[in-house]
Amino acid sequence: MEIEQIDKLLGKYWNCETSLEEEQLLQQFFSENVVPDNYKNVAPLFLYTHNEQKEKLSDSFDEKLNQKIEERQKKYITIKLFAPALKIAAMVAFILALSFSGLFWINSTKKQHFAETYNDPLAAYKEATLALDKLSLALQKSEKASLETLVQLNELNVDWDFIDSLNMEIYKNEEEIELKEEQNLKL
Amino acid sequence: MSTERFHEIVLPLKDKLYRHALSIIRDRSEAEDIIQDVLLKLWDKKKELSQIENLEAYCYRATRNLTLDRLSMKSFRKTETLDMKSFELTETTTPQTLFENKETASIIEQCIDELSETQKSVFQLREMEGMSYKEIAETLDLSQDIVKVSLFRARNNIKSALLKKDSFIKETKYGNRTNR
Repeated sequence: MEIEQIDKLLGKYWNCETSLEEEQLLQQFFSENVVPDNYKNVAPLFLYTHNEQKEKLSDSFDEKLNQKIEERQKKYITIKLFAPALKIAAMVAFILALSFSGLFWINSTKKQHFAETYNDPLAAYKEATLALDKLSLALQKSEKASLETLVQLNELNVDWDFIDSLNMEIYKNEEEIELKEEQNLKL
Repeated sequence: MSTERFHEIVLPLKDKLYRHALSIIRDRSEAEDIIQDVLLKLWDKKKELSQIENLEAYCYRATRNLTLDRLSMKSFRKTETLDMKSFELTETTTPQTLFENKETASIIEQCIDELSETQKSVFQLREMEGMSYKEIAETLDLSQDIVKVSLFRARNNIKSALLKKDSFIKETKYGNRTNR
């Protein structure tokens, strides 16, 4: 390329008036030819951009990326396959969590009723035994007394049929009185 | 989008996206991590990708957003210039010119670092990826006028930095001669 043409192109380049093809020509000129002295100040720019165009990802990049993609695919397939099982497991976990929290709440409310009043377990045991002995004695006494009463009643030889008939008569008399009162009210 | 279509359309963009991330974050391993994350995110929602009109622009935007996020999250700061892989000895270069080129590359990088994020991205997409103004505007969601202005400023900032460096070298040489 002639020097005049280079001058012209460079002028256009700094004013952003060059086409992509013209910029390509400049880059070729500065990277392939021995650059004349008067262009040595700007030549490194074209050499720099020319070199930057060669930057590429490392050779191991594709391998790493494919590995990551495969991992993602496997994960996706596993999730897809086990999605129903995961849903069931989530439901079970939810129900269990609810039950446990319910139990925990009930236990925490019950604690107040069964609050410990004795610090010494042996003393608590003794007190409980004494109370139960007293209760047992009282029950035994009342049982004995009721049996004695029953024996005494049997020994009285009461005519229970006669007492029942008396009761029936009283009942009939009461009914008759009530009927008479009703009739008087109607009149 | 099917897995096959993803491999055909999205994956071939990986090097372009990497260069775009690299132009912002200036760290190769970090840029590589970002591209892996971007591609995995795109993979996760590959079913939605078929509805996107300009998929390449969408991928660029996803890369740009994630890179800027990473940059702000980690308060990532570039501490040294990238090792210029391709500034190597050729038939026309001598160790002296190689050293000078590396030094100049570092000045260019410093200059790019000082550009705004928009100017940086516009410059990268035009100079490294050879995109038209229209394509850049679509990719960065900007108007074509803003793209042109950003590119003009980016190029001229770099030009003045290079000219300043050149005049400094000339002055030093001239000074050395007079001292002799």
